[in-house]
Amino acid sequence: MASDLSIVLLSLRAAALATAILVPVGLGLAWLLARRNFRGKFIVDILVTLPLALPPVVIGYALLWSVGGSSPVGRGIESVFGSPVVFTWVAAALAGAFVSMPLAVRTFAVALSQVDPALEGAARGLGAGPVRVFFTITMPLAYRGLLAGLLLGFVRAFSEFGATIVVAGNIPGETQTTPLAIFTRLSAGDDWGAARLAIISVGIAVLAIAAHNYMLARANNAPRNEGEGTRAGR
Amino acid sequence: MSDSVLRFDVRIARGQFTLAASADAGDGITAVFGPSGAGKTTLLACIAGALSPDEGEIVLGGRALWSSDGENVPPEKRRIGYVYQDGALFPHLTALGNIRYGYDLTPADARRIEPESVIRLLGLEDLLGRRPGQLSAGERQRVALARALATSPELLLLDEPTASLDARLKGTVIGYLRKVERELAIPMLLVSHSVSEVMALASRALLLRAGKVEGWDTPSRLLLQAAAGYELEAEPVDNMLDGVVGDVPGLVIVGGEEFVASTGDRSPGERVIVSIRAADIIVAADRPAELSARNVIPGVLTELTGEGGRAYATVDTGVPMIVELTEWSVDRLGLETGRGLFLVFKASSVLVLDA
Repeated sequence: MASDLSIVLLSLRAAALATAILVPVGLGLAWLLARRNFRGKFIVDILVTLPLALPPVVIGYALLWSVGGSSPVGRGIESVFGSPVVFTWVAAALAGAFVSMPLAVRTFAVALSQVDPALEGAARGLGAGPVRVFFTITMPLAYRGLLAGLLLGFVRAFSEFGATIVVAGNIPGETQTTPLAIFTRLSAGDDWGAARLAIISVGIAVLAIAAHNYMLARANNAPRNEGEGTRAGR
Repeated sequence: MSDSVLRFDVRIARGQFTLAASADAGDGITAVFGPSGAGKTTLLACIAGALSPDEGEIVLGGRALWSSDGENVPPEKRRIGYVYQDGALFPHLTALGNIRYGYDLTPADARRIEPESVIRLLGLEDLLGRRPGQLSAGERQRVALARALATSPELLLLDEPTASLDARLKGTVIGYLRKVERELAIPMLLVSHSVSEVMALASRALLLRAGKVEGWDTPSRLLLQAAAGYELEAEPVDNMLDGVVGDVPGLVIVGGEEFVASTGDRSPGERVIVSIRAADIIVAADRPAELSARNVIPGVLTELTGEGGRAYATVDTGVPMIVELTEWSVDRLGLETGRGLFLVFKASSVLVLDA
């Protein structure tokens, strides 16, 4: 049986990769939702939120179906990396990323929408293209909210069970993350072993949520428009 | 520079509102003037590139910025400086960081104005390390102006730059804008609903009302007509005049005449802005003999605009000065253009501001 430490480290690694996936994908989606108006925006909104409403098992099933060996994507991955992605820790990370996407995107979108568009417009007028505006104005002004979204996504990915077990399996030392190990130990009657991992899970969750709340509080107090006048007419 | 700096002919519908405006603005400061909701800010947004018109064209210095034919230069390539009503400074950058933001993005061969010279011109040396939150409203406006100027723009758009400032700060910012016009020779489009501001700064004015151009004339004629007709927000009309502190304390020379006013600890020869409220000036047909008011300035009536009981007289005393009076007084004194008269005002009505 794998040690507590190796189980937790595996979970942290998968959650970290899931968070790394959230940065470009989640930020892109949040930017679309917060800053753009386009046809079919409501469909994107529904798709982004869907994982929050679905049983995680269904997400795992959908992932298995779309990146498994019988799908073109799965075969593509296999030909590039020489091995399938399903039933690996990377698949566990993918599962975590999908499940935590709604939370992260929503938090990102709120953070981005709190940046005054007039500041972005001003930056454009000063000679900055849209990409530069995003990295020099939008991101620095929204970073606390963005960090809060990442923390929430990270802790949600760390806790994922249903999607993980379907797409990554429950292989000790390879894909058995902390929630899966707790379930396995409980099934085997190892109550104390399960309790130890449960306590660690609670600790990590409490820390992440506390940090998330702190970031959000700082974001809401951040000096964004200090003392500036009204923006009537825009 | 050619006569035409900015030529625009735009039509844009925004919900129920349609803006249809055209003009050909030259060098110097052109005012876009009109009540709230007239489409002033929409017009600026089209010129700056934040909005695309439905049809028409916008040409800056012979370069098409936007046209119905498909031309659409993105905002970052238009080389237009925009000064927002509230500054819109980047709160995460210092004053210097704000000023350098656009300068650093300006192509080297287009840099005519260095940050150091703008900082000196606008007196920002002591504020450079501060963040926008640590600046007063007037300081923020000056930093915003410096930030726009540091991109060496071909045109400066000013959206009610003094709307949120009190009278004293208003005078200071107006002084700086004049300085910018004098020393940097950048054409400006000034959106305003303040008669005083437009009179003090602009050489031409465009009157917008409900999305349409209602007039295109010298500011005094256009504005006083509108002001007399109570079409503007009730903001008092101030004269904002260039002056120089005289050799004796308590004297300011304005257009060759000596005004008695409190000059504080300013030294002789210092440039100042003199602000006198149009309603604080009395018109006398003959030179009054005994009077407590210390300023009695001779002049010639050049323009008279009246409507609905209120009238504005423009009197040339070496500089044009505006006097607010009633139509009743105009009739009683038999005022008509071309006649000589005297302007009377107290020393305490003259506000001397830094230029």
